[in-house]
Amino acid sequence: MKALAASLALAAAAVFLAAFAPPQWRWDLPPGVAPPPVPADNPMSAAKVELGRRLFYDGDLSVDGTVGCFNCHGQHRGFTESNAVHPGVKGAPGRRNAMMLGNVAYLSALTWADPRQRSLEAQVLTPLTGEHPVEMGMKGQEAELTRRLSADACYRRQFAEAFPGEPAAIDVPHVAKAIAAFERTLVSFGSAYDRGALDEAAKRGQGVFATLGCAACHKGRLFTDADAADPLSAFHRIEPANARDPGLSEITGKTDDAGRFRTPSLRNVALSSPYLHDGSAKTLAEAIRRHDGAAGIGDAEMADLTAFLGALTDQTFVTDPKLGLPKTRCGKPL
Amino acid sequence: MTIAAALGLLPLAAGAQEMPAAKANCAAMDQNLPADLAGWTVQTPLAAAASPAGLAKATITPGKAIAGDLPQTSTVKFVTQPERPGGSVSHGGMFELKIDKAGTYLIALGSGAWIDVLKDGKPLTSTAHSPGPACSTLRKMVDFPLEPGRYVLQVSANADAKLPILLARRP
Repeated sequence: MKALAASLALAAAAVFLAAFAPPQWRWDLPPGVAPPPVPADNPMSAAKVELGRRLFYDGDLSVDGTVGCFNCHGQHRGFTESNAVHPGVKGAPGRRNAMMLGNVAYLSALTWADPRQRSLEAQVLTPLTGEHPVEMGMKGQEAELTRRLSADACYRRQFAEAFPGEPAAIDVPHVAKAIAAFERTLVSFGSAYDRGALDEAAKRGQGVFATLGCAACHKGRLFTDADAADPLSAFHRIEPANARDPGLSEITGKTDDAGRFRTPSLRNVALSSPYLHDGSAKTLAEAIRRHDGAAGIGDAEMADLTAFLGALTDQTFVTDPKLGLPKTRCGKPL
Repeated sequence: MTIAAALGLLPLAAGAQEMPAAKANCAAMDQNLPADLAGWTVQTPLAAAASPAGLAKATITPGKAIAGDLPQTSTVKFVTQPERPGGSVSHGGMFELKIDKAGTYLIALGSGAWIDVLKDGKPLTSTAHSPGPACSTLRKMVDFPLEPGRYVLQVSANADAKLPILLARRP
């Protein structure tokens, strides 16, 4: 009798846990592409990704309601934007060019010059509550953020579904977890390059890319070395350091790191002008010529090289409605 | 593949609205504005519509600036979802634009708010964006080619409840 009772209790517990367990996440990846790493304390679920997507596009994550993540990371530009640097709320001066977010989940070095930023969950706090520079201006406003989100019945439902069994989940750490989960779905491997559909100019440009040694840093399928186990290996100096921005040395304190910045991925790069850490290169050609060994590249070679880089554009990624501004909220059209 | 396609050149759409540049130190503001912006300095209060039904009472005519009064975004029912809707605590609203003469019109704002111009409920593509002139309180200007008729101007993601707006025909 005791054994039967124990079995029934176990079965009941299993049913209880199943009721609260989010459905398993299924990655939609092309053949040969492995899923990105996911931290054990923030497993993927459809409910969490959808919540993170809504939060990503919500201006209420800024102090005056005017700035959402997407203001600087717009989908149609490969999840970056057209300003050299973007002012923060209330006109706070911007500092560095917004980085593209495609395939960010595969990277170990996440930002232009801070190798300590290795988790998407932690990195969310930089724009949200950071002060160097001020972006969304929510430092000290964490309770206000909870108030805003909790006032929305749909958000209450979405947080409950994304974080089952966590009754007080509407707070900054869970906001960060949900946005990080959405960011992990920003996977871009659908370009002409991926399909093996390079035209003649792009094929020639691929040769120029190899000859110039671009792949020493813009390496592998991600076209960056920022996925290395040692994140410090992804920071390079292409020009002499200047006093305006010390780059990596600001964090490490090493003089030799002055002017070093993380290698950006080249996927969707044709959409993401302006270029470099300060957005000071308006065109791909200008950005390329500011690299060692590329200053004297001829016009024909440059046209081919930019054709190759254009072939890294993933039109599906930058137009996929599942990654864009939500058009419904808890099933209701907006 | 064309060079434009290779470089992924984008049409100049509303989605490319630039953020306004920071202003230099100025002894005086809004002095010596260009002729097409002359109406900026006299601003008549006008409440934005919070729903399409209120548009008829929120009409902007060319050349005459308004001091727009914007409700909180959470209370606004836009004609169509703005590209940048703004959070619930931001401010937004709608105005009707009355155009009698075809031409290129600029919409000048006193902030970096997002704007959409709608015809028959659909956003139009803008043709130019710029910050306001130096030493002016204009923060952002967006150009649209407009034919005679009525349009809806949607303003979204504005920090404050007040927003100066000028609709003016380019020379």
